[in-house]
Amino acid sequence: MKFIGIVGTNAKKSYNRMLLQFMQKHFASKAEIEILELKDVPMFNESKDQSDSPIIQEFNRKIEASDGVIIATPEHNHSIPAALKSIIEWLSFNLHPLDGKAVMIVGASYNIQGSSRAQLHLRQVLDAPGVNASVMPGSEFLLGKAQDAFDNKGDLKSQRTIDFLDSCFAKFMKFSDIIAQMNIPEDITYEPGTFKVTAVGHNGDLPMEVTLSDDRIEKIDIDTSSETQGIADVAFKRIPQQIIDGQTLNVDVVSGASITSRGVVDGVAKAVKMAGANPDILKKRKKSNGPNKQNVVEYQTDVVVVGAGGAGLTAAARTIQQGKKAIVLEKFPAIGGNTVRAGGPMNAADPEWQNKFEEITGERHTLKEISEIDEKTIDVEYLADFKALKKQINEYLKENEDKKAYLFDSKLLHRIQTYLGGKRTDLQGNKIYGQYDLVKELTDHALESVKWLEDIGVKFDKTQVTMPVGALWRRGHKPLGSQGFAFIEALKKYLESNDGQIMTDTAAKELIIEDGQVKGIIARSSDGKKIIVHAKAVVLASGGFGANTKMLKKYNTYWSNIDDNIKTTNSPAITGDGIRLGQSAGAELVGMGFSQMMPVSDPETGELFSGLQVPPQNFVMVNQKGKRFVNEYGSRDELTKAAIDNGSLFYLIADDAIKETAYNTSQAQIDKQVEQGTLYRDDTLEGLAKQVGMDPATFVKTINDYNSYVDAGEDPEFHKSAFDLKVEKAPFYATPRKPAVHHTMGGLKIDTDAHVINQDEKIIPGLYAAGEVAGGIHAGNRLGGNSLSDIFTFGRIAANNALKDMES
Amino acid sequence: MKLVGIVGTNSSESTNRRLLQYMKQHYSEQAEIEICEIDEIPVFDEPEDKTAPQAVQVLSDKIAASDGVIFATPEYDHSIPAVLKNAIEWLSYTTRPLINKPVMIIGASLGALGTSRAQAHLRQILEAPELKALIMPNVEYLLGRALEAFDDNGNMVYEDKAKELDNDFTEFLSFVKLTEKLTANSKFFEISKQFSWKQVANGEDM
Ligand SMILES: Cc1cc2nc3c(=O)[nH]c(=O)nc-3n(C[C@H](O)[C@H](O)[C@H](O)COP(=O)(O)OP(=O)(O)OC[C@H]3O[C@@H](n4cnc5c(N)ncnc54)[C@H](O)[C@@H]3O)c2cc1C
Ligand SMILES: Cc1cc2nc3c(=O)[nH]c(=O)nc-3n(C[C@H](O)[C@H](O)[C@H](O)COP(=O)(O)O)c2cc1C
Repeated sequence: MKFIGIVGTNAKKSYNRMLLQFMQKHFASKAEIEILELKDVPMFNESKDQSDSPIIQEFNRKIEASDGVIIATPEHNHSIPAALKSIIEWLSFNLHPLDGKAVMIVGASYNIQGSSRAQLHLRQVLDAPGVNASVMPGSEFLLGKAQDAFDNKGDLKSQRTIDFLDSCFAKFMKFSDIIAQMNIPEDITYEPGTFKVTAVGHNGDLPMEVTLSDDRIEKIDIDTSSETQGIADVAFKRIPQQIIDGQTLNVDVVSGASITSRGVVDGVAKAVKMAGANPDILKKRKKSNGPNKQNVVEYQTDVVVVGAGGAGLTAAARTIQQGKKAIVLEKFPAIGGNTVRAGGPMNAADPEWQNKFEEITGERHTLKEISEIDEKTIDVEYLADFKALKKQINEYLKENEDKKAYLFDSKLLHRIQTYLGGKRTDLQGNKIYGQYDLVKELTDHALESVKWLEDIGVKFDKTQVTMPVGALWRRGHKPLGSQGFAFIEALKKYLESNDGQIMTDTAAKELIIEDGQVKGIIARSSDGKKIIVHAKAVVLASGGFGANTKMLKKYNTYWSNIDDNIKTTNSPAITGDGIRLGQSAGAELVGMGFSQMMPVSDPETGELFSGLQVPPQNFVMVNQKGKRFVNEYGSRDELTKAAIDNGSLFYLIADDAIKETAYNTSQAQIDKQVEQGTLYRDDTLEGLAKQVGMDPATFVKTINDYNSYVDAGEDPEFHKSAFDLKVEKAPFYATPRKPAVHHTMGGLKIDTDAHVINQDEKIIPGLYAAGEVAGGIHAGNRLGGNSLSDIFTFGRIAANNALKDMES
Repeated sequence: MKLVGIVGTNSSESTNRRLLQYMKQHYSEQAEIEICEIDEIPVFDEPEDKTAPQAVQVLSDKIAASDGVIFATPEYDHSIPAVLKNAIEWLSYTTRPLINKPVMIIGASLGALGTSRAQAHLRQILEAPELKALIMPNVEYLLGRALEAFDDNGNMVYEDKAKELDNDFTEFLSFVKLTEKLTANSKFFEISKQFSWKQVANGEDM
């Protein structure tokens, strides 16, 4: 993410500047903060417009391009400094870069209560219609006694202050994400055709024809033959022009002809309605930027990629590494898709590394169980690999019979677990499992992907090997820094410093197909521009369709029911666009009926990383009655099905020691959530049960039983397969959870070269797919941590083959 | 009685300036109102030496010599214009002539809604320790649709609004007289003159 920090004063020495500089340094691994100064900003003057001056243009441009703005304001005379007010006035006059922009307010001042009054004024100012910023509510960061707050390196001295700043900033990162999503213009589709409506003229109604295509207002014809010449004439020309240029009904009325101006708008609105669309969406859009703007822009490149998530950025980076050009189209203002949301490590068997760690309780048992699986139940493609794995396991077990062993792993174990974990039968009795050649490709090359990412600039934490929820084995490579974002940040940096082009706010709409060969993409930018990218290859990497409930319901064959208002952990951009694009070229789809629910999601938001998310060996799940109901180490859909059977809502229980193993949170966040009532905490188990409304006796018994199973290393009730900590040290926590849509396993059919395959089993020339948009690998259930391996592996493969095919 | 009327904007067209001009003309029997502009004042940047630039000194002297000050402020983005804030910062940082000065706040705006948010902010600002103006309580004079408010001779066409201003102004005149008694030998004055935000920070709270 990239933020702009504004030092709210032009004074030479400023604690607010120091605060921003500290934030810039302190948060460098999370976001880039560029600091802008007010020194050269002229005093605002309505009668002397200087909006075009370089300094104001710089503010305008940089704020527009940013993901959010952090304003550090001093307090001068109980309000914000004139210098800060002045730049805001410039940015609310003819330019409006703060419109809809996420803003965080911080402030340093001598006074103990810091800059509270100034911050309050600033909020009101930013809320004014001309500014219209989206200011983050709450989280008022006031640095009082600023002159004592920093050490001589410019760092904040108080850890508590830093903790609070951390929590404010984490919230702002999330907030700016959400605001960015709110700014996505709502899509509109019309029933194409020409609609006859009327416009209001001076001498009565005038006939008007509005021509609509699939997603555009193409033409507005008003028959003015019965009109007398006059000012209204201008309205009949200018208003339709504005409407078409901006694809908007938010237009400036022509002064002196307001009635006729509105008449045209109403007429077009009527036509839009007749075409089955909602004109209010067009009324909420931005005004047109003027007719002289270029409305069609063409580009030429080697590889055009749809979607700037992990798979897409990887494909682009790999293209550039080989000396070719790449353009990435991204529908959203911010890049990263679901990949930035990924909170877990990526799977890759790396025995050399894993062997350095000790086994944990239960793992040996899991291996034994695998080796004891009846070979008759193994599908024939996998049989040879299964036998080889069995041999490996038996040797390992024998070698370590009477001693504590190291952690075992191999490509074969990863492959067989991916296969076994993905094997499912849907409601209609259709059996599915991962396509062998694709699963082999994935498990053979996952470790290469880790190495490749290291070359790109991702740093991994080698000190621990973890198992993401639902991963079945500890083979997670965890990047340093904030998980999914760390991958995206490194890839973005790589692309930016190597002439890769990422175009955000640009949604791919159509494939360019000539003689059966895919030759590029037609896209639409959010300000209405048509963007044509001619390319030798197209890589679809637009992710799955987890945020498209309609599409999920249409294909679903696995869940007995998917609610209309089901929550999702996905970015709202993940609507299956790439699947539809592929279909337009005749692509075959596989496994579309299988989607994955994340059992441990926030009941209100679908979010994953609220509450206490701990490694599954430390999960203790209880239902609303206070009883355990499932093997917590089970696969995601076992957990989901069990949760649905238990009324969906359930709780993750933790004690103080388990809390320490949570990977998603800080004490400040925990305290905040407890305060907000989204996380429960109590000094006794009985008290906790009462807070969430369970019978205390039942709950206490459940926990005592669980603790005794940990001691015994065996769970006779649900056969939990790995344990670590007991629930014994106060305070105790309960995190409410509910299943939400998490992943779509189905998608475009591909081969091991990431070519998209059509319904005649043939390669579609020029078309490649990588990541969640493709199907066939994860089949009925994706293992946690396998997606990241998938996108970085197949992202590379797609680029490699696109370039190889280009040569021949 | 001598009053200073401060035009709260640097715009060449200002209804607030018109409003002050109207008051100057209309109330010429009761008081002498001198209209002051703030557009020449440089941008405030906390210079080390705390001396007032020429334009600030001129304004400050006029305020100091007056019996009271009328601020006519537009509303920009829900608050007072930067240029007015700028003038106030200079005054607070250098000469501090507003301490214990009776102040009346008025505001004109183009739309139907007046300048109530800006006026509320201005009140809070003028109450800051290094300004400490004596703001007339209970009065909030807002002139909406100000473009059409005056006829060609500079008279106010909205009768109710004209009457309201008459009342408010009369009240301000008595407020000025009242405060003369209050502030004749106030110790408060000296403290405010010497106030520094550094002191507050050092725990010498006031
Ligand atoms: C909350 C969460 C946590 C997860 N945690 C893990 C984990 O720990 N480990 C793991 O392995 N997997 C995890 N996953 C799954 C994994 O993150 C995704 O499957 C993976 O990131 C998908 O990558 P992708 O590159 O295929 O798509 P994405 O990263 O989703 O990127 C797709 C991009 O395409 C863009 N796009 C869509 N339509 C268009 C269009 N028409 N034109 C232009 N652009 C378009 C989208 O805006 C988006 O930026 C998690 C998923 C979620 C939601
Ligand atoms: C003109 C002026 C007015 C001030 N008014 C206030 C105020 O109302 N409240 C406050 O807490 N501090 C006030 N201060 C003190 C500031 O808090 C202090 O100067 C602080 O360091 C400002 O932040 P900066 O270091 O980023 O410039 C004022 C300072 C100046 C120069």
